[in-house]
Amino acid sequence: MLSSELARPDRTTTHGRWFLDRTRLDALIVALRADGRTVIGPTVSDGAIVYEEIRSAAELPAGVGDEQTPGRYRMTSRDDDRVFGYVVGPTSWKRWVFPPMIELNSGKRVGHRVEFTPARSTPERLAFIGVRGCELAALGVQDKVLDAGQFRDADYRARRRSVFIVAVQCTTAASTCFCTSMGTGPEVERGFDIALTELDGGFLLEVGSPDGAALVDGPLATSLRPASPVDVYTAAADVAATRARIGDPLPTAGLHDRLLAQLDHPRWAQVAERCITCGNCTLACPTCFCTSVTQKTDLEGHTATSERFWDSCFSPGFARVAGGSFRSRPRDRYRQWLTHKFGTWWDQFGTSGCVGCGRCITWCPVGIDVREELVAIAPPVSLTPEPQRVEPVAASFDDFVVAQVVATRQETIDTVTLTLSGADPAFSKGNLGQFAMVGLPGFPPLPISISRFTVDGIELTIRGAGPATKAMCALKIGDQLGLRGPLGNNWPLDRAVGRDLVIVAGGIGLAPLRPVIHALAADRRRYGDVRLYYGARTPADILYSEELARWHSRAGIEVHQTVDRAGPEWEGRVGVVTQLFDTASWEGANAVAFVCGPERMMQATSNTLAGRGVTPSRIFVTLERHMECGIGLCGHCQMGKYFVCRDGPVFSLAQLGDTFSREGI
Amino acid sequence: MGDMATLVAALNATWFGAGLPPETQTRLAALARQEETPAGTVLLTEGEVTEEFGILLSGRIALRTLVPERGMVTILTIEPGDIWGWSAIVPPFRSTSTVVAIEPVVSLVFEGASLRIALREDCKLASLLYPRMLQAVSRRLAASRLQLLDLFARDATATL
Repeated sequence: MLSSELARPDRTTTHGRWFLDRTRLDALIVALRADGRTVIGPTVSDGAIVYEEIRSAAELPAGVGDEQTPGRYRMTSRDDDRVFGYVVGPTSWKRWVFPPMIELNSGKRVGHRVEFTPARSTPERLAFIGVRGCELAALGVQDKVLDAGQFRDADYRARRRSVFIVAVQCTTAASTCFCTSMGTGPEVERGFDIALTELDGGFLLEVGSPDGAALVDGPLATSLRPASPVDVYTAAADVAATRARIGDPLPTAGLHDRLLAQLDHPRWAQVAERCITCGNCTLACPTCFCTSVTQKTDLEGHTATSERFWDSCFSPGFARVAGGSFRSRPRDRYRQWLTHKFGTWWDQFGTSGCVGCGRCITWCPVGIDVREELVAIAPPVSLTPEPQRVEPVAASFDDFVVAQVVATRQETIDTVTLTLSGADPAFSKGNLGQFAMVGLPGFPPLPISISRFTVDGIELTIRGAGPATKAMCALKIGDQLGLRGPLGNNWPLDRAVGRDLVIVAGGIGLAPLRPVIHALAADRRRYGDVRLYYGARTPADILYSEELARWHSRAGIEVHQTVDRAGPEWEGRVGVVTQLFDTASWEGANAVAFVCGPERMMQATSNTLAGRGVTPSRIFVTLERHMECGIGLCGHCQMGKYFVCRDGPVFSLAQLGDTFSREGI
Repeated sequence: MGDMATLVAALNATWFGAGLPPETQTRLAALARQEETPAGTVLLTEGEVTEEFGILLSGRIALRTLVPERGMVTILTIEPGDIWGWSAIVPPFRSTSTVVAIEPVVSLVFEGASLRIALREDCKLASLLYPRMLQAVSRRLAASRLQLLDLFARDATATL
């Protein structure tokens, strides 16, 4: 064997995963061009990232990001030089497989005869670099519309069949993205030749077709090395993080039927007051396919060329006939677009017309957000999913299940967070605000709030205030403890959907509220303004400081902190937590409040919140009483008519009435 | 310094000054000046005569007191809209804490002696200002009580 063959691993049998170094990305473009293809990719032009012909990797938008909100698009500067660190721009791949204008035929009248000559074009062979999950889905939708029915678009087919697709897995998302809701991303699963996931210094590369395999075995072979497990894991984690960041902005279950049942909803007229029927949404949309045909004749009118160009159902004359127009009012045309895209498209083509790319939201000049309109016109049947009732385990006087400490974190001088695993799966499915009875042999079992739910376990944040809690804080990795639960009721986050949320935490009271904040951050769009007010004793007693910073900078949660007292090096606020919001400018009438901390602090907070206009039935506190069983049978935790472990620990102020903080109850 | 119109506008934008009748705002603005203070400046020293009363417009001020074993302890921070140096018009006119700008600060500053004279001579002004002053101090008193209770203390009465 030649030494060069010995040196190259066999790539033909296992296509596996590869790593393409950033400096070798050009090899991909060169290889595609050498194959006679015109390479289309993202590049900066006219203040946006658009898809145009590119000739080298240097034309990709390195270090460029984007910021998109309804009616607003801005490019930003990233602090790395990633070339795919943005999401979709105003143009889509549609313009290359379904061009804005094509010549259809030319016609001639010669005496009595007429002649039509189709303009058969020979499309170029194309390669697309940077196709996102939503865009792949859009190409799939266009295939169903234009190339799968009784009648087909030959021009589309010719262009589409020749395209080599290099897909890109999204590792960032815009606020307008909702691919997750439409089932189209951010992961790319099929329909591509090669898929790239951008990492530091290069790309994880996966093969999706024989054409892709041929490139990997052939011209790209010397530019690739096998991907390491870290490459694979990091890529998967980044894409999963993107999915988590998007959440599920648009519940789509049953949307077709719900929407089509609302043709007379008053909201159509309301949105029409804002909509200027400019058609930007249809131009930017990667699946819209409406066209019109126009004629160009010579001066004598004997020879004519017929052209097909993109039109829009929003055009005033789109539904015109001799007697008038079927959709003369803007509200009719808006309704046509939305009910087609999300409703009747299913009946016609067996798929949704929308892929969740968000372009129509970003590029609408008046900022109409289809997600908001759909929720308003056709709200999901259960907008507020009931928390699942989880059966607690070991729910008897005598039993505990065992869990193992897999990680510990010293939060402050006397507070430790234990990460537990190996417990019954019921614990990870617990609801926000539930607690576990925690037992160590020789110590009384104690109720500890669950401060985080993980895939295979829970976290407990424990302050070592007495012998039992100190023993728990002293546990090491590998040590075991006993659990009973999850017990108690939960913070009613479903009551806060669509409302503003005020969260007030004092001291270790932040621990039972932490799962609420995680849930909010993962599904941020469902809630209004979210404000967290956190008071700690001194700066050294602040819990979860890194998470607090992250919630403030990345999760859209306003975090305000204060301490009771501090030394001269502290430049933050000093004072009680109520001072953080007693003169704030927000209106309380629409808000839901969750409060946790020492009872005296919760009382002062509730008074201040009521003074700001928050309704007592929407102020929730969590109570702590002496518990020995956690299941309402030992009698210790009674408060008025309630057993705190069983009827609480979360109560609304309206439920508690004047038993709250009354002496001796 | 700022001209009269700017001072009245700045006064009107604070909770302390908003809602005062225009002639009172003008009267107060005549006694005021807008002052920028760099971070780290000590505005008042605990125990000394309070020469100035201020309404904070921007930045952050810390109120500190000296605890011999612990050094300077910050007991409260003042945010924009709040007042400092209220002791300028309350006998014995001595500051109850050391007041330090911990960020660059802009305040509407009133000279203590002039303000005291104006309040003595102008009953209408006094009847409008003292309630606001009391309200500010009462809010601070309520907060101090909660801080005093040390609700987040370790090992308080816990047997757990």
